[in-house]
Amino acid sequence: MIYDPRGTIDAPVLHLAKRPANLRGLRIGVLDNTKWNGWKLEDRIATTLAQRLSLGPIKRYKKESFSRDARPELLAQIAAESDLVLTGIGD
Amino acid sequence: MTTLAETKTEDLVEYYFEQAWSDGLPVVPPTPEKIAAVIDALGGDPEHLEAVVPPRRGGLTRQILAVNMVMAGCKPEYAPVVRAAMLALCSPAFNLNGVQATTHMVSPLLVVNGPIRREIGMNSGHNVFGSGNRANATIGRAIRMILLSVGGGTPGDLDKSTLGSPAKYTYCIAENEEISPWAPYHVEHGMNPDDSSVFVIASEPPHSVTNHIADDAEGVLDSIISAMSTIAHNNAVSSGSCAVVIGPEHAATISKSGWTRHDVRNYLWMNAGNKFSALSFNDRYGKIYNRNLPRWYKREPDARIPIVPSADDIHLFVAGGEAGRFSAFIPGWGHMTSPVLLRIDGTSPDAAAMCEDGTCRL
Repeated sequence: MIYDPRGTIDAPVLHLAKRPANLRGLRIGVLDNTKWNGWKLEDRIATTLAQRLSLGPIKRYKKESFSRDARPELLAQIAAESDLVLTGIGD
Repeated sequence: MTTLAETKTEDLVEYYFEQAWSDGLPVVPPTPEKIAAVIDALGGDPEHLEAVVPPRRGGLTRQILAVNMVMAGCKPEYAPVVRAAMLALCSPAFNLNGVQATTHMVSPLLVVNGPIRREIGMNSGHNVFGSGNRANATIGRAIRMILLSVGGGTPGDLDKSTLGSPAKYTYCIAENEEISPWAPYHVEHGMNPDDSSVFVIASEPPHSVTNHIADDAEGVLDSIISAMSTIAHNNAVSSGSCAVVIGPEHAATISKSGWTRHDVRNYLWMNAGNKFSALSFNDRYGKIYNRNLPRWYKREPDARIPIVPSADDIHLFVAGGEAGRFSAFIPGWGHMTSPVLLRIDGTSPDAAAMCEDGTCRL
């Protein structure tokens, strides 16, 4: 007998959100991961994208910790208030 | 499960290497009999799900727990310790997802307290962090094997640690309660001396502290403070919690001065730290605020920045052999994780669940 030590994964398959056909006027949410310089990069990208693509308003959010999951309430708020979300990690 | 027509032990060892189901050392091929003995020790029901292990989110059933324990060389009687340790590691406060995936060299340190240490023959004396004891070595190894196989912490894949550390093979000790002049760690945290417990903290490897001169508490502790007060480890820049392991000779010297555990932790906290100017490199690279430190710290050049936010964030143990004037400082990973203390049956001494903002940290 060979025993596989890995255990099985029992998780729902998640798919990426549908891509919007037109970006004009869409609300963009920026999630700051709280790494030292991450927000500077994200802010610059969001501002540049908003200008170039005629996006709608930018709204900024912040995680409590860069390593921990964002709180479910925060994720729900971002989902409700944004059409596009920009996030990432970086020092 | 696969069946090989003919299997020899040495073939199985190679087979497990080929599948990358190993920590890099030969594993003990699991047999139905050995697995059944561990499952019995866990209370039967092989399909019972004990935990889901991030970041892969593999299901840790009793059967999978048993397979990994056998592969690591554990005896069945170690099962309650390994299970409790995995429950602690998989609780939200610990943030195993981050611990497994980070570029830092962090590894979980397991410290066991209470009667079970003696019952299963753990080492709390000479060479306590080193090799030579089956229980310490294989309990820590079983945890690592589970983090690798079930948790998917494969180096370079989901484990992005730049350097790793030797503590990623096994990192498991017992407190030397018998030689300690103070109450054991789990009693300090509200448990009964007859309770057994597991404590996990995401940490760097131990840093040795030598002091063969001091004959008072201050002298010994000032050496530990020296090891704590550097800008190089993660606590200095990312706060969080840390562990201090006092060797028995140092503990005797400190105790002879009449100091309690509480006095020791407070003295360490009060005197260990750095100036903000050192942490901000004297603005050599521009003005630095450091968002990883608590918001209530002053960001002024002469402000003292403690190593951890409070004396309660220093987790103190007595361990090691009776000869030698050595202690150890063990830096933590930072505010991104909280240590967890559980009774051996997996229950928590407090009701802490979510510690995202640090308000219910141990």
